[in-house]
Amino acid sequence: MSAKTLIGRVALYALLSAITFLVCFPLVWAFFTSVKPKEEIFRWPPTLWPESWTLENYRALLEGKQAYFQAGAAAASGPPPSAFFLDWFLNSLIVTLGTTAISTIVSTLAAYSLTRFRFPGQRAVPYLALVGYMVPSIIFVFPMFLVMADLRLTDTLFSLILGYVCITLPFCMWLMWAFFRGVPIEIEEAALVDGASRLRVFWEIVLPTAWPGIIAAAIFTLIVSWNDYLFGRVFMNSMENLPLTVGVMHFFDGTHVDWGLMMASSVLMTVPMAVLFMLLQKHLVAGFGAGAVKG
Amino acid sequence: MRGFRLSDRQVGILFMLPFLVTAGAFMVWPVAEAVRLAFYSYNPLRPDDLTWVGFENFERIFDDPLFWESFSQALVWTGWSIVLQTLLGVGLAMLLHVALPGIAVFRGLLLFPYIVPTVVIALNWRWIFNSEIGIVNHALVSLGIVEQNIAWLSTPNMAMTSAVLLNVWKYTPFVIICVLARLQTIPTELYDAAKVDGARAWRRFIDITLPMLKEVLVVVIVFRTIWTFNKFEEIYLLTRGGPGTSTFNLAVYAFEEGMANLRLGVAAATGVVMIVLLLAGTVVYVRVSGFGQEEKGS
Repeated sequence: MSAKTLIGRVALYALLSAITFLVCFPLVWAFFTSVKPKEEIFRWPPTLWPESWTLENYRALLEGKQAYFQAGAAAASGPPPSAFFLDWFLNSLIVTLGTTAISTIVSTLAAYSLTRFRFPGQRAVPYLALVGYMVPSIIFVFPMFLVMADLRLTDTLFSLILGYVCITLPFCMWLMWAFFRGVPIEIEEAALVDGASRLRVFWEIVLPTAWPGIIAAAIFTLIVSWNDYLFGRVFMNSMENLPLTVGVMHFFDGTHVDWGLMMASSVLMTVPMAVLFMLLQKHLVAGFGAGAVKG
Repeated sequence: MRGFRLSDRQVGILFMLPFLVTAGAFMVWPVAEAVRLAFYSYNPLRPDDLTWVGFENFERIFDDPLFWESFSQALVWTGWSIVLQTLLGVGLAMLLHVALPGIAVFRGLLLFPYIVPTVVIALNWRWIFNSEIGIVNHALVSLGIVEQNIAWLSTPNMAMTSAVLLNVWKYTPFVIICVLARLQTIPTELYDAAKVDGARAWRRFIDITLPMLKEVLVVVIVFRTIWTFNKFEEIYLLTRGGPGTSTFNLAVYAFEEGMANLRLGVAAATGVVMIVLLLAGTVVYVRVSGFGQEEKGS
């Protein structure tokens, strides 16, 4: 389709801009709120463009613990939830990266093995992965919690990594399986005939061509593990061990809600995803296209 | 790898091993455990007291009005979400398919909500839909659309509306991605031929675009229906299932039974019901997508 007339073009741009504005508004509004001082946030009618800009909400989050302990008030009732923000951020980062590493490596190896060698039950695995992909976390979470409790792993970041590996592995497996099925094996066979070992062929020929698939699987895993709330909520209980998503929901615990703090944390929580999105947008679309449409 | 060589068989097993161990220990085992728990009475605070109760948990949920309320609310929530996502998704994909300079920027911005954490959206939603100082109420009142502030999150219908809006906001990009990918593969000659024949834009959409999209739309709708029906976080983080129990779906019901009432057996039984519904959905999916045929062909 094409828009030929000038008026048609202007109308299209106007329509697209209006829709984009509506879609982006909640995030833009969160940002504006996060840079307003407290009294301006609660003013009615609200100021659309911030009258005065401040970083006090971000400072409260990023310096939380130090500022609090320096004030010497921690003894009274324990530090407020916001004091743990940096801990939570770090936890989420560790868990996300750990999950991504494990999930992509395990699924790449298994998918290669499945498409290149013969196994009993080989054909069933992608089907099972499909079913596993659709099973919602709410069904996994309690029995998995009991398994973690048996292994004495609850309230550790490792238990979260294991949980996220389980919810991401089926899709990664499926993605990599579809990917390797589409890679012609002639080059590999030629190298094998020339006397290269299977491991060497995998390392030097297969892996370099597999990057698009691996990146798509990694992006999917990064998003799922950075965004999850349920596993963190059920598995973890110490304040300093929470992932970011579970932690910030504690901001609602107090008697009055500090919207400035909340919007600042929602901005900070979105930034890593936004950076990832800008860097890898093409792969993201390709990956989801391959996984969801092809199937 | 000098000195010794692994045979293909050994490499194959070695590569599969991590997957089999992880899947076995942390997926198959928990699911088996979930099904087993559904036939027991179990409270995590008294781990030694695990009593076989047969189908009692199932009888209990089928007798529980809240279970049926959650079920029908899940249908409402899923129905509205899917209809809106599909209509908006197809419409926006058509818009984004137009060849315009700078269209990539719009594409990027409109797809972005898909990767925003649900917690972030829930926080933002609670803020913009705040009944006293929320910007949505301010806009509606000052534009004269409503006369007084709407209690978005504290009245049942409005809470469900807000939850559906959240879901639509976050997941319409998924529909756009899938539809856009398909649109780009439709040969333009088809449209040119139709234009020569004098077909108007609307007819071209009905006669060419829609039939081409049918396949991908069926798949997307089945997928989104299964996922939306079982969604937990989108509802729980926004409304906690409230006000009262007016936004409970089965996932929230299972979570409350397990987490608040500590009846893991009942939660597991709810999970089993969800798995059965899910398998039915998967069968539909396999039928309509031709997943099985493709496999036989290769």
